[in-house]
Amino acid sequence: MDLSARLRQGNLLPFVGIGVVAGLFAAMFGIGGGVVIVPLLMLVAKMPPRMAAATSLAALILTSLIGVVRYAGTDHVDWLGAALIGIPAVVGVLIGIRFQRRLPAEWLVLGFGVFVIVIGLRLVIWG
Amino acid sequence: MEHGPEILALAGLAGVAAGILAGLFGVGGGIVFVPTLVFLFAFDQLDAQATSLAAIIPVALIGAWRQSGDGQIDWRAAVLMGGGAAVGVLVGAEVALRLDEATLSRVFGAILILVGGEMIVSSVRKLQAKRATPAPADGPRRP
Repeated sequence: MDLSARLRQGNLLPFVGIGVVAGLFAAMFGIGGGVVIVPLLMLVAKMPPRMAAATSLAALILTSLIGVVRYAGTDHVDWLGAALIGIPAVVGVLIGIRFQRRLPAEWLVLGFGVFVIVIGLRLVIWG
Repeated sequence: MEHGPEILALAGLAGVAAGILAGLFGVGGGIVFVPTLVFLFAFDQLDAQATSLAAIIPVALIGAWRQSGDGQIDWRAAVLMGGGAAVGVLVGAEVALRLDEATLSRVFGAILILVGGEMIVSSVRKLQAKRATPAPADGPRRP
């Protein structure tokens, strides 16, 4: 069943489930949720690759906000450090999306596959 | 923090690279942010993870805003996943305390390698199929 059919039927549970799994892995392995969310959106919700990546980014607004709120009141968040890498990254995200618009879906999935394997190898080798 | 201009330039470059990955693949960029903060600024792991989360906020906001303009975002799905993730993080933090993390990491890494391999194989197959049967030319075909 494709995503729009799911939504029409009001079956929104798969998305909550994907979020729970992503949060679990994020907390257990210290990886961001996107690596888990994007493949699951494509596999479970049958989302096209570009929409899966875009919707994952939107979900990360919430997860990063919640994450920072959890650390609020501790001195773990270094705002200057966050700005030094986060502001250049805003420039990067606009470049990435511009590039993504021109990239055929197959190449996007291929690139994501390579990216996921690199992360997998890192976890296997360094634990 | 007091750092030379070359360290700041490297941090900027790493930031741009993280952002490009974020825009392309829909990840936050933490995979680049955390090691950058640890190696360039000598953050400890926890400070690096917390600061990385803060750095992801503007990336996710601006990236989602741009993608939303292209009609690429399913907001209901995003909100539901964000809520689910908040629950998952709490459970995951508990589980991580009780299980052997190194072994788990390797198992998860192996799963990621399989998932990545499957993505590469399936996309290469699709690309080959495209090449075998070239897409019809734009516009109506001449009789």
